Amino acid sequence: MAQKRKSLIKIKPKKFKDGEVVKVSFMVMHPMATGTTKNKKTKELIPAKFINSVKFNYNGKEITNMTVWEALSTNPVFTTYMKINGKGKLTVTYTDNTGEVNEKSKKIKPKG
Amino acid sequence: MMQRRDFFKKLGVVAAVSAVAPVMSFAGDKPKSKNAMSYATAVNAITGGKTPKKSAKVKLKVPEIAENGAVVPVTVNVESPMTSRDYVKAIHILASKNFNARCIDVNLTPANGKAMFSTRIKLGGTQEVSALVELSNGDFLIATQSVKVTIGGCG
Repeated sequence: MAQKRKSLIKIKPKKFKDGEVVKVSFMVMHPMATGTTKNKKTKELIPAKFINSVKFNYNGKEITNMTVWEALSTNPVFTTYMKINGKGKLTVTYTDNTGEVNEKSKKIKPKG
Repeated sequence: MMQRRDFFKKLGVVAAVSAVAPVMSFAGDKPKSKNAMSYATAVNAITGGKTPKKSAKVKLKVPEIAENGAVVPVTVNVESPMTSRDYVKAIHILASKNFNARCIDVNLTPANGKAMFSTRIKLGGTQEVSALVELSNGDFLIATQSVKVTIGGCG
């Protein structure tokens, strides 16, 4: 069951050359419910819903893969570095503990 | 008449009860998570019995006092050339007193170019945050810092 979620891939600096190492941040709007908190009004448990795994793919090659547990904040941010290696596409795939799979991609165009 | 000695004894008992009581009720109310894991078992599961070395190569950046435990920024920087022979294999972020000590496991490759990871985590209370780093030659490095949390964020 795929749901539309707001997500964003940011690359810093915006203009980069081939072979440069750039900062990549990935942000998602996700509740990241731990399953131990209660709704304050109804006193009912909020069921667990958190991101399980995040994978960074660049031109079909896996760069980084992460196993995520409950303790990340709501609307998490994942920031790492990446080496630019020619024109291509960066795809981030993220999976939920409820089986929700989503994807976000960004084109990469090095200049010079 | 109450003796000075007795007074202090009573004071001690009252203090002990009031200190223990809220902790007990807190623990009783909490539903257990499937993924609950203590800090020691988490470290053991990652390292496979090896003891991680403390190292200055791992730079952990966490605020010493976090006003809000729900959003605590964590940055881990590791000095490494990141070549195919010598690189950082994985970065694990652990929180010692969360019900699940493991926060995130990041598996890096030489294609990252730089061994750095940053995110935001939830902390249930004042505790220690540590970064456990696995190198490509099988060594484990660790860096730890205590964080004071004013408002807990793990509910």
